[in-house]
Amino acid sequence: MITRFMTWLRYLLIPKKRDELDDELGFHIEQSTQSKVAQGLSPAEARRQALIELGGVEAARERCDQQRPGWWFGTVVQDFRFALRAFRRNPAFSITVLLTLMLGIGSTSSVFSVVDRILFRPLPYQDSDRLVSVGLVAPIEPQEFMLGGSYYEWQDHQKPFIALTSEAGVEPCDLNEVNPVRLDCASVENNFLPTLGVTPVVGRNFLPGEDRPNAPRVALISFALWRSRFQMDRSVVGKIVKIDGKSTQVIGVLPASFEMPRLQAADVLVPEALDVAAQRRSDPGRPLWAFARLKQGATPEQAKAELAPLFDYSLQLAPAPFRKEVHYTVRPLRDRQFHDVHQAAWILFGLVMAVLLIACANVASLLTARRAGREREMAVRAALGAGSMRLLQQAVVESLALTAGGALAGVLFATILLRVFILIAPEGMPFLSAAKVDWRVLAFTLLASALCAIGFGMVSGMTHAPMDALTSRRGRGIRHARLRQILVAAQIAASLVLLAGGMLLTRSFRNLESQKLGMNYQNVLTASLSLGETAYPDQAQQMAFFERLERNLRWGPGINAVAISDSVPPGGYHRDQIYASLRVDGQPRLASGTGGNVAWRWVTPDYFRALNIPLIQGSGFTDEDLASENRFVVLSSSLADRMFSGQNPLGRQVHLASNAPAGQDPPFTVAGVAADVKNGGLAAGEEPEYYRLRRNRAEDWDRGGVVIVRSNLPAGALKNWMRTQIASLNPTLPVEIRTLQEQVTKLADQPRFEMLLVGYFACAGLLLSVIGLYGVTSFLAVQRKPEVGIRMALGASRIDIVRLVLGGAGRMVAPGIVVGIALAFALSQALSGLLFNVRPHDPITYFGAAAILAAVALAATLIPAIGAARVDPIVTLRED
Amino acid sequence: MPTPTDLLQGTLDLLILQTLALEPLHGWGIAQRIQQVSKDVLQIGQGSLYPALYRLEYKGWIRAEWGSSENNRRAKFYRLTAAGRKRLEAERETWDRLSAAVALVLGKHAEASS
Repeated sequence: MITRFMTWLRYLLIPKKRDELDDELGFHIEQSTQSKVAQGLSPAEARRQALIELGGVEAARERCDQQRPGWWFGTVVQDFRFALRAFRRNPAFSITVLLTLMLGIGSTSSVFSVVDRILFRPLPYQDSDRLVSVGLVAPIEPQEFMLGGSYYEWQDHQKPFIALTSEAGVEPCDLNEVNPVRLDCASVENNFLPTLGVTPVVGRNFLPGEDRPNAPRVALISFALWRSRFQMDRSVVGKIVKIDGKSTQVIGVLPASFEMPRLQAADVLVPEALDVAAQRRSDPGRPLWAFARLKQGATPEQAKAELAPLFDYSLQLAPAPFRKEVHYTVRPLRDRQFHDVHQAAWILFGLVMAVLLIACANVASLLTARRAGREREMAVRAALGAGSMRLLQQAVVESLALTAGGALAGVLFATILLRVFILIAPEGMPFLSAAKVDWRVLAFTLLASALCAIGFGMVSGMTHAPMDALTSRRGRGIRHARLRQILVAAQIAASLVLLAGGMLLTRSFRNLESQKLGMNYQNVLTASLSLGETAYPDQAQQMAFFERLERNLRWGPGINAVAISDSVPPGGYHRDQIYASLRVDGQPRLASGTGGNVAWRWVTPDYFRALNIPLIQGSGFTDEDLASENRFVVLSSSLADRMFSGQNPLGRQVHLASNAPAGQDPPFTVAGVAADVKNGGLAAGEEPEYYRLRRNRAEDWDRGGVVIVRSNLPAGALKNWMRTQIASLNPTLPVEIRTLQEQVTKLADQPRFEMLLVGYFACAGLLLSVIGLYGVTSFLAVQRKPEVGIRMALGASRIDIVRLVLGGAGRMVAPGIVVGIALAFALSQALSGLLFNVRPHDPITYFGAAAILAAVALAATLIPAIGAARVDPIVTLRED
Repeated sequence: MPTPTDLLQGTLDLLILQTLALEPLHGWGIAQRIQQVSKDVLQIGQGSLYPALYRLEYKGWIRAEWGSSENNRRAKFYRLTAAGRKRLEAERETWDRLSAAVALVLGKHAEASS
């Protein structure tokens, strides 16, 4: 075996000398001649017959050569060199193909790196496809959740799962040490990690005894925290740290790959430590998020069916208005995680596949065009003895060489493109910042490009030349024409789909940006704070802190208004309740259903001035109200209309918690009606809203607060000043200061990102199609030169010729546009979830996209058409 | 008369190896020897002889060296190697088995039809 390999290697490296074979064959012919002379033939005749017997020295030499090991490899190298030489001879062609492939492969790879994690990569849990998210779905929270009142019943009596576990959310917490830091602490049940199949890398999981109220405090820390804070020291296990001022023992470190099932950032895991017995009795109980591991072979649907009796139990607990609007769900964890982006990811994937197809079609059509121009050359090679397999091999090698170059350029391009994506992407895109061009992506690229290469190599090689191309003067390339015309029409159709999608999203984005928010967000700064539990244990101290801060800020330089609320519009968190729990004094409550959501906030009197929200009726809150025994409320205009249906609400009494037990539902006096403000993000409609006044009473305050400051100072200086002001009250208090402008812009990040991506693909697709169209039209124009010559000799004018070429292009473009519009019409429904104030079948968009495409196509064909019309009939007629 | 293309695949290799088992020969000599021994039934076309020789050489079953012929001309002589000898035995066995099997089938067939 080894000797054989060595022989093989020797002959591979040192090819036999050519003249050795010549000598040998020469000797053979000589001997043969001699023996024939001996039989009585004349020397000349003997030599002639000997040569005939040998059957051609060159053929014999060729066949001997083919015996050499590695001969085939040599031909590939030879084909490769030949291909490179041919590309150098025709740089315009090669660069076009390379650029096309770079765009196609580069875009594909970068997008694949983004969607890979979302659509295909396994989650970092053991057997993650058996993990499901379980819970109730209600209008207030469209993503499933659980309630303590039901959860433990479910856990005790469920049948479809191996285990059911829960987390109680992530909250900010403070690690109070030498350098205090604000961390994210997740509360989880003690069976949380085992159910997910996660084992700590160091230390152990929680014990059941540690997941009880008043149990000794323990925590697991994230790998990142272990590295950054504890230098990956294993002795951290057992160490006592202070979390929110309470001594907590670190019992373990999570794996680096660990992530919460709902993808929240979490630095520390602590036990939920819920009082289970109290939760069972409570109604509705603590909100929880439940996850479960399915039994072997069970599907989420079966599990859902088996949970039906438990859901009925939960329904009994739900308050009457909710019953009709509550459902429950069991769905794969991946669906839960990528709820919002799943669809976007598939759309992206589809788009990029369209671009890749356009690119491939382009290269195929360029190659066939070139091949058609080389029919004579091919025919000569066939005549010299190249077999059809050999010609096919050469075609495939040629396209492999091209795609290899294209893939290389494409990967470079993808890396750059991915950087750009990450730069412009909104924070909400999960894992985007971690996306990179890794070996999976490279494998994908290589596969895509190899398929591309072999595909179009075959297409162009299969249509290889018949011998009569050597003799015939006409008809060159006509057979290829149809295939190429279909390719071009398909490209036009695909790029129309991309263009229409891009334009829909652009229009939607512009609608979104020109949204009226109902307030003025320029020159407004917000600072979000959450007071620590140890330093500010009760509401009185919390109120004292905020009031001091407000006083200090109010008299600062250039400050126009200061207000303290607990949240700010237009997006993000705010408090919510159902409409059915509101009641006007002397009017009945809503008879059935929840009536939808009502947003509300705690505010101080200057809130409306700070955000420039106009008061339509009344004067709003006054400073006198602050000291009052009575409670005051300002309604948004839509809420006032709904509650009072046209009557004057000012001074009327309303109840804001009419579901609460008697005595806990104090009356509020309506002090004003404010204009509606966007409060559900940019795209969502505005919810009715009301504002409760934060009086100078401890009961109106809590740990959280957002300080809103309107000022003419530059944002940077103001931020620093606010930071020092807050630090002067409490230097260890973590605070997040942002301009409202930043927050509003951020809301538009996701749609802007989608628009830019789709826009990019639309442009890339359009560019590629135009290249394809231009290439094919100009090629056909050159092909028809003799015909044009004859036409002109027979009296056709230049205009006629231009019309002729344009007509030819029109026959490709028109069907492409028609098919494209039909396709876009069918596919744009998928975009409807991303669109704002634009219908997916918006006629202006389709008309515009078709017009743009037609105009660009006209430009791409006009140049070759005019070129064709410049033909001098005398010259072309002589050529043939 | 069988032409070279009528030779079973691999048979040519066997014939060459067998011929060279007796003594080293040059290409012309091999062709002549096979023709003589087979009483002119097997005529090896040069078009397939030399590719076959090259193939066998590449496989390491025969080795070529330059020498001088009977009439003192420079010629390339092929010699069986040890690996070639082993190969020859294996090929002979296969051939014997095959021809015996074919003979069996033909014999039975002949009986049935007579």
